Amino acid sequence: MSVAVRPVVRTLTQAQLHAYADASGDHNPIHVDEEFARTTPFGGTIAHGMLVLALIGEMMYATFGEAWSASGRLKVRFKAPTRPGDTVTASAQLVKSGDGAAEYAVQCANQRGEVLIDGRAAVAGAA
Amino acid sequence: MTSPARTSITALPRGHELPPATFTLSSTQGAAYAAAVGDLNSYGDTVPPLAVVALGLAALQEHIALPEGSLHTSQEVEHAAVIRAGEPLTLTGRIAQRSERQGFIITVIEFEIGPASGTAVRARTTIMAPGGAA
Repeated sequence: MSVAVRPVVRTLTQAQLHAYADASGDHNPIHVDEEFARTTPFGGTIAHGMLVLALIGEMMYATFGEAWSASGRLKVRFKAPTRPGDTVTASAQLVKSGDGAAEYAVQCANQRGEVLIDGRAAVAGAA
Repeated sequence: MTSPARTSITALPRGHELPPATFTLSSTQGAAYAAAVGDLNSYGDTVPPLAVVALGLAALQEHIALPEGSLHTSQEVEHAAVIRAGEPLTLTGRIAQRSERQGFIITVIEFEIGPASGTAVRARTTIMAPGGAA
């Protein structure tokens, strides 16, 4: 199996951070309270790590469908904060494949090329 | 934001078992999650796989307080089965690792989520929290 994975590109907004907080139940003020967030070392709100990681999940599901839901594996590090207004590109590069499985180096980077998330994703059982 | 019923993550020792949590992810919740992250995939009667992990993390925060300045530094997820919308799910978890470095407590929470038929998702979440925080 050697399948090219199409990148996902998305600009995150503060409204999206609020929507994600409601959908996930994670209302940590660093994500949703702009006044509070200005007093922190980040100087403003930052996106939930899992919201940014969702772009990688979306990208992998778009390529592998339920094989991803049933066998996908992710191992990532959150390397830098993502801020409202950032345009994030999630991408994957094949690093190895065989026996019906494939492993990709995955990352999310912002419009300045800063890596926000990096790691590996693997999937088995896809045609 | 710290409720008295919750324990700071910095106070939880390695091996601590977290109280099981039960929840369901309806198709409406799955759709709300997909809309929030901007995901245009069609999931049919299933839910976005990472939505389950996100709700699992929220369930854990009913028992674990994260001090100000805590950072989610890494995440591992292993999907083992598709999850259908509306399936009752149970989360079980524990503190798998705890270490200290440069004034921060680094905690790895390991948890599994699945319906009655078995585990559908295994995850490991690493949180770095200021060591002086209660």
